[in-house]
Amino acid sequence: MNNSQSVLEYFMQLPTLVKAVWLISIVLFILILGLILYLKILRIYLRKNEKEQIKYQKIYEENLINYLYAGDDVNEISEEQQLFINKTKIEILNTFNRKVLISVMSKLVNDISGEIAVSIHKFYYETGLINYSLKKIKARKWEIIASGIDELTQFEVKQAHNKIEKLIKHPHKEVRNQAQLYLVNLFQFQGLNFLNNLEYQLSEWNQIQLLEILQKFDNQEITNISNWLKSNNISVVMFALKLAKVYNQFESKDALLDLLKHPNEEIRVQTIDVLSYFFDTECKEYLKSNFNNSSKSEQIAFLKLLENTGDASDENFILENINHPNFKIKLASLKILKEINPTKFNNLEISESDTASKRIVEFINNN
Amino acid sequence: MDSSTVRLILLIIHILFFIYAFSVIFSYVFLSFISALESSQYIKRNSFVNYNEILSSTVSPSISIIAPAYNESLNIIENVRSLLSSHYVNYDVIIVNDGSKDDSLEKLIKAYDLVKVNYLINYQVPTKPLRQGVFKSTNPAFEKLIVVDKENGGKADALNCGLNISQSKYVACIDVDCLLLEDSLQKMIKPFLELTDVKVIASGGVIRIANACEIKEGKLININLPSKFIEIAQILEYLRSFLLGRMAWSRLNGLLVISGAFGMFDKKIAIEVGGYNTKTVGEDMEIIVRMRRRMEEENIKYKVAYIPDPLCWTEAPDNYKILISQRNRWTRGTIEVLKIHRKIGFNPKYRLLGMLSYPYWFFYERLAPIIEVIGILYFIVLIALDNVRWDYALAFFLSAYLFTIMFTIIAIFSEELTYHQYTKKGTGFKLLLVTLLEPFVLHPFILYAAIKGNIDYYFNKKIKWGEMTRKGLSKTES
Repeated sequence: MNNSQSVLEYFMQLPTLVKAVWLISIVLFILILGLILYLKILRIYLRKNEKEQIKYQKIYEENLINYLYAGDDVNEISEEQQLFINKTKIEILNTFNRKVLISVMSKLVNDISGEIAVSIHKFYYETGLINYSLKKIKARKWEIIASGIDELTQFEVKQAHNKIEKLIKHPHKEVRNQAQLYLVNLFQFQGLNFLNNLEYQLSEWNQIQLLEILQKFDNQEITNISNWLKSNNISVVMFALKLAKVYNQFESKDALLDLLKHPNEEIRVQTIDVLSYFFDTECKEYLKSNFNNSSKSEQIAFLKLLENTGDASDENFILENINHPNFKIKLASLKILKEINPTKFNNLEISESDTASKRIVEFINNN
Repeated sequence: MDSSTVRLILLIIHILFFIYAFSVIFSYVFLSFISALESSQYIKRNSFVNYNEILSSTVSPSISIIAPAYNESLNIIENVRSLLSSHYVNYDVIIVNDGSKDDSLEKLIKAYDLVKVNYLINYQVPTKPLRQGVFKSTNPAFEKLIVVDKENGGKADALNCGLNISQSKYVACIDVDCLLLEDSLQKMIKPFLELTDVKVIASGGVIRIANACEIKEGKLININLPSKFIEIAQILEYLRSFLLGRMAWSRLNGLLVISGAFGMFDKKIAIEVGGYNTKTVGEDMEIIVRMRRRMEEENIKYKVAYIPDPLCWTEAPDNYKILISQRNRWTRGTIEVLKIHRKIGFNPKYRLLGMLSYPYWFFYERLAPIIEVIGILYFIVLIALDNVRWDYALAFFLSAYLFTIMFTIIAIFSEELTYHQYTKKGTGFKLLLVTLLEPFVLHPFILYAAIKGNIDYYFNKKIKWGEMTRKGLSKTES
């Protein structure tokens, strides 16, 4: 009693700052003890959770495979299958079970196709998992909405189209991305209609994803991309240019030629690249006349076009550029010269000090 | 000077020390909060990202991995195999043999069926000349591999050579002994392709310590906690630095450094700023500061991104001699970079870079060891003069120690709640034990290395990189 009283007295006579520091130390000490205890519990929980997850994943994988082989007809559900569906309906009331089951099913549908995939989609409907996903897209938290769309995409729920189409303008980027992926995965080119009045920028990441999804499907009816090439949204134009190249949209050539005058440099460069891919010669004269006013990237892109389409009529233009200070322009010009007039190329006189040209000529001669 | 003046001076010194200590603590607390926010958002954002489409796409942008190698004969074959195992489609690997004196090149030629090729190099950044030239494989399985043999010029010079060789839009500069996970490239490239409102100029990855991990054929099989104190303590250091510090700076868009062990750059910008600076040992930090500086000067909206996923695993020093040498170099690098770019410090023209990132690095990285040593010396003088109120001193020491412990525990929490890499039983206890001892055991060495770095910087200019003897990650192969 006396000891604690004297400690208290000692403490009370300390300067305020030192008192505060002692108090902070005590608080920190208690916090650390709490954190250590919590860390112990957390690690136990995580380990247990991981084990449980692996255990249930195995169980669900086996059950799902049994379910798939228990039916003879994709369109009908056998008695054995119905029993499993009923059992699953109860199990998925538990969030953990539901999450594990969805992850197992997602993995399966990604790895397989055909009738088995259809059976899994059917299972998704019959067990009522679809309702959980539909409920998710009405949630307030963006990550729940996005995960709901992701599930509806994986299990190809086309009837959610109207609801998801509305989410294409969602303020959160991830939700918009997932909505775009849903539309294109399920409706291919038709799903791209959201591009008609897209207000946000479509990232290159998304453009690549959408293109890859489209390429998974054969025999699609390809939408006329000319309107997208004329879009006010730069990212839509960039995406349309990619589509033009991948799907050989040569019929959009007029729109492409117009894009050579687009105010955005990246679009102009990309357009030249697409025209180069089409071996277009119509744009040559315009690009030649505008060459000196173009950016380096455009000049290099144009010379790549000439590597495909150059002929004798381009010789004078090429000769003007073989001494260009830019290495890439010089290289492309010399390459083209060799193609269109090998004699002139072989008789080129290069000064001793022009080491870059000498290296390039030597390189071209050896390749 | 009368005694009242001395007392006044001492009081001012005390107040300055107190303000410094308080601001350090405040900044750490602030960074922890920001990092928690950013980590949670990163995990949410990436929880349903499908990387497969990017992997297989022919329109996904090209990436060159540039890995300088100097006398890496011991592990070079395994290391290259690891670099070649990425799942990304559109990439190549450029190994720059920087004038190695050992048989690295011969080993590579033999293992990967290399032949000398006619390769036209666009010398956009000056580098040391080539020695034997450029090699490519005759085996289609290794078609992504390019080996360049050049005269020795140091790491920065070798990276510059790689920049000249690369034909890709993006370059990933890495240490050749680093082990990259197969999905590293697609994760690192994501910010470049994802952000539409800002230009991403670089992205940095987390570096994890691979000592004691099980590695097979260049792939990480099993993550283990090393047994040595020095290795575990470095794991804690890395967790603090990467999961708390850099994560928070990334959120603030104030990252001043991405690790030289693994970073990705927009090649065009890296070349436009002149590539790596060969005159500093802090070339990884210097190039980032220079790129940022250029963006600020040109008024371009930009970002240096940061990926917290454990993508790159490397060997950490397992003895104090090498650790001191490594930290000595880091200190000299920091001093050099801050000196080269002193113009941006406290300069409002450079906005966050000049008014927050630079001052933070200057006060809490550059000056911290010096202030700490001054504090220790001052305390010794006070003891000698028998002028210490031990009860006051104990209170301050205890609170500083407990704060350090708490900050490290928060870093461990951050790891557990995000990536939970050290799953084995007993690991948590070991990490906690080292947490309690680290301030007394590892920290004095780190402090010594930093002070030695300062001394070497001012009085021993000849020192450059220092030695880093590698045992090799493949030692744990099963």
